[in-house]
Amino acid sequence: MTELDNIIHQPLRLRIMSALVVLEPAEQMDFIFLRNLLKATDGNLGSHLAKLEENSYIKTEKTFIARKPRTFISATDKGRDAFNNHVAALRQIIKDTNK
Amino acid sequence: MDTGNSENAQESLAAIENIMKQTRKAIASSHANSLLILWGVIWVVNNTVLQFYPDYAHYISWGFVAVGMFGTFLIHHISHTEPWVRTFLSQKTSRRLWWFWILLFVYAFIWLKILAPFNGLQINAVFSTAAMFGYIVMGLWFGSYFMVWLGLAVTATTLTGFYFIPHYYCLWMAVTGGGTILLTGLYIRFRWR
Repeated sequence: MTELDNIIHQPLRLRIMSALVVLEPAEQMDFIFLRNLLKATDGNLGSHLAKLEENSYIKTEKTFIARKPRTFISATDKGRDAFNNHVAALRQIIKDTNK
Repeated sequence: MDTGNSENAQESLAAIENIMKQTRKAIASSHANSLLILWGVIWVVNNTVLQFYPDYAHYISWGFVAVGMFGTFLIHHISHTEPWVRTFLSQKTSRRLWWFWILLFVYAFIWLKILAPFNGLQINAVFSTAAMFGYIVMGLWFGSYFMVWLGLAVTATTLTGFYFIPHYYCLWMAVTGGGTILLTGLYIRFRWR
């Protein structure tokens, strides 16, 4: 049986992964855009991104555009699999309760 | 499993769905699909004008290509410098894409020169199918089957027009080729709103 993923289960990390898996594999999301979308603070978002990156669920790329530093984030294959398994586990819990 | 866990699970799934919906909406309002809309409009207008003024085909087509290139550059520039742009390809990938498209058309031009003499219909069909070949390659490159199908569909309509209705080929391409690209761009833009 698929189990809940402890790394993704934390509410903000779950929302981060939900936003990132919407993108195509070759696409990346701007840090500022993600921060605004999730209504998170820089520090809070940064620390949860670090946790996800530490577990290879996401990749970050720092670059300069028009001489300004920008950070882009994308979900890895491992992260996408973990997210899908987590969603499957959540559905299983609901299904088991309704039996 | 107790009902408390089930309620938490339902809340989590609702939160996931909500964020995914918001993300799609935000991406839909980005510049990502503007290129399809731009080139769709150019195909429609260019081919319609060509149908009625074939003698000026050379000037008309190069004029529209210039407009398209300028528009592409502008959209690319805006989407890379605006602070609220939503999605990006890495700079390296983006640069490779530019080179891919430039080289694709340089080669199409070389092949045409080798195969000369040719008529306007052949030039139109070669460049139309070359552009669609580019879509298919990009689709395979990024794992987007949608792009592959779009490329195959417009290639099929191009060949149909070329072999079966040559007298109305440009009008046919305006409606089927340009129309398909334009509607696809509009569909992607508005489907998640």
